This record gives sequence, structure tokens and C-alpha cells, in this order.
Amino acid sequence: MKYPFSKEATEYVKALGFSIQDLEKEEFKPILDRAEERVKEALLGKREVRRPLREEIEILSFPVSIIMTSAMNNQVVKRRFADFEAKRITEWLKEENCENLIKVAKSFNWRIRALRGENFALHFVDYLKNAVNFNEAKWKLVNRVLSNGEVRLSKNDVARLLEEEVRKYIENKLNVKLDIELPETLNERVEKLTQIASKEVKRFKLEETPKELNQEAFPPCIKNLYQSVTKGLRVSHIGRFTLTSFLLNIGLKPEEVIKLFTSSSDFNERITRYQVEHIAGARGSKTRYTSPKCSTLQTHRLCVNKDELCNKVRHPITYYRIKYRMLRKGKSEK
Amino acid sequence: MSIIHSLTEKEKAFIKSYFAKYYKENSSQIVPPKGMEEREFGFSLFKEAVMVRHIGFRRVEELRSFLVNKVPKDVYYSCAYYERPTEEMENKGWLGADLIFDIDADHISTPCKKMHDLWICKECGQMGRGVEPNACPVCGSTKLNSSSWPCEICLEAAKREMIKLVDFMMDDFGFSPDELRIYFSGHRGYHLHVESEVIKEIGQNERKEIVDYLQAVGIDLKYHPFSQRGSLDEKGWGGRIARAIYEFMLRPNLAQDLARLGLNKKAIANITENRDKIIENWKEHGPWNIIRGVGFSTWEKIAYFSLKNQAANIDSVVTTDIHRLIRMGGTLHGKTGFKKVEVPLMSIESFNPFNDAVAFKEDYITIYVLESPKFVLKDESYGPYKDCKVEVPVAVAILLLSKGLARLED
Repeated sequence: MKYPFSKEATEYVKALGFSIQDLEKEEFKPILDRAEERVKEALLGKREVRRPLREEIEILSFPVSIIMTSAMNNQVVKRRFADFEAKRITEWLKEENCENLIKVAKSFNWRIRALRGENFALHFVDYLKNAVNFNEAKWKLVNRVLSNGEVRLSKNDVARLLEEEVRKYIENKLNVKLDIELPETLNERVEKLTQIASKEVKRFKLEETPKELNQEAFPPCIKNLYQSVTKGLRVSHIGRFTLTSFLLNIGLKPEEVIKLFTSSSDFNERITRYQVEHIAGARGSKTRYTSPKCSTLQTHRLCVNKDELCNKVRHPITYYRIKYRMLRKGKSEK
Repeated sequence: MSIIHSLTEKEKAFIKSYFAKYYKENSSQIVPPKGMEEREFGFSLFKEAVMVRHIGFRRVEELRSFLVNKVPKDVYYSCAYYERPTEEMENKGWLGADLIFDIDADHISTPCKKMHDLWICKECGQMGRGVEPNACPVCGSTKLNSSSWPCEICLEAAKREMIKLVDFMMDDFGFSPDELRIYFSGHRGYHLHVESEVIKEIGQNERKEIVDYLQAVGIDLKYHPFSQRGSLDEKGWGGRIARAIYEFMLRPNLAQDLARLGLNKKAIANITENRDKIIENWKEHGPWNIIRGVGFSTWEKIAYFSLKNQAANIDSVVTTDIHRLIRMGGTLHGKTGFKKVEVPLMSIESFNPFNDAVAFKEDYITIYVLESPKFVLKDESYGPYKDCKVEVPVAVAILLLSKGLARLED
């Protein structure tokens, strides 16, 4: 029952049938304390060293800490909390025997079975849903043994994939909209945590994208597309999308991108305008498209002439920012 | 002079009349896609060049009468299932999508393309053969017209890729034959539709991983310990890598191919002299460490080079697009007049589009052929033609007209 997402745990909490207003009662104080501590642990990134708590408190404080975290309404905090709680669970998972590990996996509806020698076979869909979030080459499906719809995995692999499943589970819980009035005691605690958060969690400092365009800093894939377009060569739809979204992402105005396409070849201005403005988010869904990442360009065979810097980045925009800075530094040193 | 001819209104009307006849006689046998009410439909028409999209049908009769009354040039439906298929894209409410594969002869290099594919520059009139270039080599214009031919050799190459893909789907991904539907596209390739609850809800990133698996994108041999086992019937990519090297060893010009990989003379000699021994050793544990001077890194080089032949050559964009419109089975292809037909898994080897996808019967008609390669349709041989008047069956006429290779005689 120690896993807060297990069927037993959720049923246990449900069976108690208490409402959020009950949390004001004195008897719930240890649960609130522990819930607050959990969030604080996640914010500070370290665990309190203490004797193990009563299982009941651990179980009940989990949903309460979820409420507190989502009330803080900060994506960075939410991600931290989900990561932290998921890591806690991985440590337990690594200690489990195969039978229990399978039980946990099945509570997420994984299609999994044990093989000989602490190995497992997991349905490829359950594998992909989690492994796509990992970047290392060893998690690519093509680098696994896949047979009859199942991926062969070690025990550690299963624990790592389950951690990701738990992380997503917690993140989903955190993003459920709260439309209940929180009792005063809870609000006070949330306030306290928010103050810690503002000190501890450094907001993602959005890296400044250079203001001037420097074609020298283009990654090889973009350079190739850019040259093809300026020479008036044919470029596939996905190639045009990549170039357009890249140029918009690094700060070009839609007008400038349209000019690039229409001046150099026979692109129809009306259609080009429509497409560019769509990607810029001025039309239709109003979402501004992000340019595709390196692995997507590899899939579509648009990744060409890889250089050393390419091996260090996962996104063409990151390449551009780094190269831009390198070039500028090189210039000022001269 | 041979040019690629654009259809006149009269020719369009001629083709449309036979499409109309086809839909009138056959619409009752056209089977709609699974979950029809949740699909978006799209059509291209003979009259306007635009695509009619966001159409929905609640009952199969509505769809059939649409085909009979509107007589579309091409009929498409979404691989996706939507809550509200007729609304604008962002309001449709995506529920899932079939897993779709497109194998197109255009993406496979075959030697015969030089013979049967044509292009012409709209600016200066320059003509050429083979795959259409990015720009006219004479005047530099990108305004090119082209005509690619659904040739037997190209389609056979596409079929080979489809057979590889089906092996992947069954052996590696574990799909059963009744979840896999193979179609001849009606033009230059084959489609595979995987309709399964198991994969319906997976997103773009997961589909991208499947594409990478099929094409060996990002493969790293260090995760495939083929040097320890090396057995040809190892599961997954392990076995494919071993088979890739094995097949490489059987190449007639082995020494030349090894030289192209940048191996030194001594290594090449060691391998070619011991070729039989290498092949023989695969029955046991693979050829590793049995030949002096040929180390693991050499085998690795050969593996990376040769494993491309084990991959399935699919269109990566189609499979990763979870909103894609695809041609509907049983309908006609506007560029050929062929039917998109299902190919039973068991008889894929013997399937012949020039027999099994022909939609029109009877009627003969006289056309003026500008140029056409030789081909066999329904066991009759036609062409090659060059600037001549011929009387041919309607199916042949529509194929050549739609390809811009013929004109209707007055």
C-alpha cells in the first residue's frame, strides 16, 4: 500500500470519506505538516532525515501535498514536485522483487510479464509512451530487442520507465483544475511555501535570442535548407516548415520570411503568406509553432553535414544561440 | 515533339464520365473506413483545383450517393478519429488515429526511372528524362511539369519494401494479419493501414520512434551485441544486422564494395580469400575473430553500410502525421484511373496492379499518344508509342490521358 497511486491506497483514502474542510481539524495536523514538508523537500531538493513515519500519514499526506502544490500554480514548482516524488518511488521500486514490480506496473495497465533472470517483456506501446521522454540512445526503440510486440528489459530499465510513468501521473494530478475553496490553514501553508519557492526556484531564465540575424551561425541543416530556397531549388513541405519555423523562432518577422520565399523562386505569394502566418500563429489555431528538434529532422532525413557542435545539442535553435555567441566572442577577441 | 499535355475541358469531361459510370455501378460495394462517423473526408474535383475538406458522413448511403452525384477525382479520409470531424482543425477533438505507412516508388531509386519518367520546363521548354531535377538545368526555372510512370519494375521494388514492412509489423511489432490491410495506392506505391486499438491513441513522438525503428535511424551497434551471438535468426535488429553482413558477403563484387567502405588492401584480401569460411561460420556463431587482421571495427563498418538494405523504405512524413488524409480503398486515382484496391496478405507476391486495379472494361477509343513506354494491361501488351493514333481500351486511354502522355482525338 506504500505507493500512493496504488489501488489500495486510493481506495483507503476514499473510504475515509473526509472532505477538504475536515483538514482544519486538529487531528489532521500531522498530515498537513507532512504534506507541507513533502512540498518543501521537493523545493529544496533534499529529503528530511528522520525516522520512518506511519504509513497512514505518508498515504494521506500525498493527496494533500498535491493540493498544496497545484494551489501554488507555478509550472516549475509542479515539475519539481513531480520529479521529486517520482524519484522517491524509484528507490522503493529498485528494492522490490520482480513480482511486486509487475504488480506496480500493472496498476498503470502495463502489459508486462517476467522473463527468466530478472528480465522483463513489456508491450512496445507502454514502452514508447515513457521512453520517448528520454534522450539517451539506449532508449531508442531501434536499440532494443523488440520481438512479437514486446521489448526486452532489465529490472533497472523497468524501474526507470515506471518512474517516468509515476512522474506523468503526478503531473496530471497537479494539472487538474482546483475549483474548491481551500480552508484557511491550508492557504497559510501554501503562502509559506510560495515564499520559499520564490527564493529557491530560479525561474528558467529565458535565454536571449540574438537580435540580429547571423547566417554564419545557422546549423548545417538550416544552412542547407536556406541555400536551397535562396537558389530557387525545390524544398519538401516539411523542409519549408522547418526553415520557416526556425526563422520565426529566432526572431524574423513573417514579412521577412515571406520575402525570402517569394523573391527567390516561384512560390505563390498568397499561399506562402498563408503558410508562414499560420506557422507564426497569426492564423487558425493561434499557436505559434516551434521548429522541429534534431531527432525529428533525423527521422525525415533533413539532418545533414553534422558537425562537432551538432553532437552537443538536441535542437537547431540551441545550436544557433551557442554558435552566435561563439562567433561574436571570436570577433571581439580579434 | 513530345510534351507533357495538360488536360482540356473536353478530356476532363471524358474521364469524369467514366469515373461517374464506375461509381454508379460499384458504389454499393465500396466499404467505408472503420469508424466512418468519426472521420474527416476530403475530395478533389475535376472542375476546381482546390481540395474540399472537413466533410463528414453519418451513414454509408450518404457517402455512396456523394460519390455517385459529385464524381470526385480523388477521395480521401482522415487516418484520425475525431469527436467533431466536420469542424475546423483546432476544434475537431482528436480521439486517435490508425497507423499508416506509405511506400512510394518515387522514393526508391530504380534504374528504369531514366527511361520512363519525363519532365519539361514550363519556361524554356527544355525536356529531360528520369527523376525531375530541382530546377531546369538550362534556364534555372523551378516551374517544371513532370510525368512519372507507374512502371512494373518500380512497383515491384515498392512491393519488396512492403513485404519487409509486413515482416517488421508481424515479427517485431506483433500485429496479427487481420490488423494489417495492404493496398495498392492506385498510382506508384502501396499503403499499409494498421487499424488496432493498441496503437490508436499513440502520438506523434511514439510514431516517430516506430519510423526510426523501421529505417534504422539512430541505430547504435553497441546496443546490439551481435559479436557475441551473431546468429542470423536473432530477434529484432540483432538478426537483421547479422543478415545484412551475411548478405553483403554474398555480393558478386565483394572486393570492390569493401574498397568503397575504405578498408585497407590487406583486410580486403583477408576477407575475400576467406569468404567461404566466413559464410560457413554463420551456421555456428558468426565469423568474429576467425580471420586474422579483421577486427570488430571492420565488421562494424560493414554492418553500418549494409543494414540499410534491411530497413523498410517508408515515407516518414505520412506515418508521423496524426491528422493525415489518405486515399479511400475502392475509389479511383485521379492520376491513373486505377482503383486503390486491397491486396490480400497471402497473395501479395502475385498481385499485379496492371491486372488487379483496372477499373474500366469494354469500350475502345482512339487517342493520339505523344509518347508512352511499353506496358501490359489485362494481359494485353501496349506501346511503346510515339506520336501516333491508336485505338485502345478506355482504361489505357484514361491512364495515358491522366499522365499527360496522350490527347483525345476529335
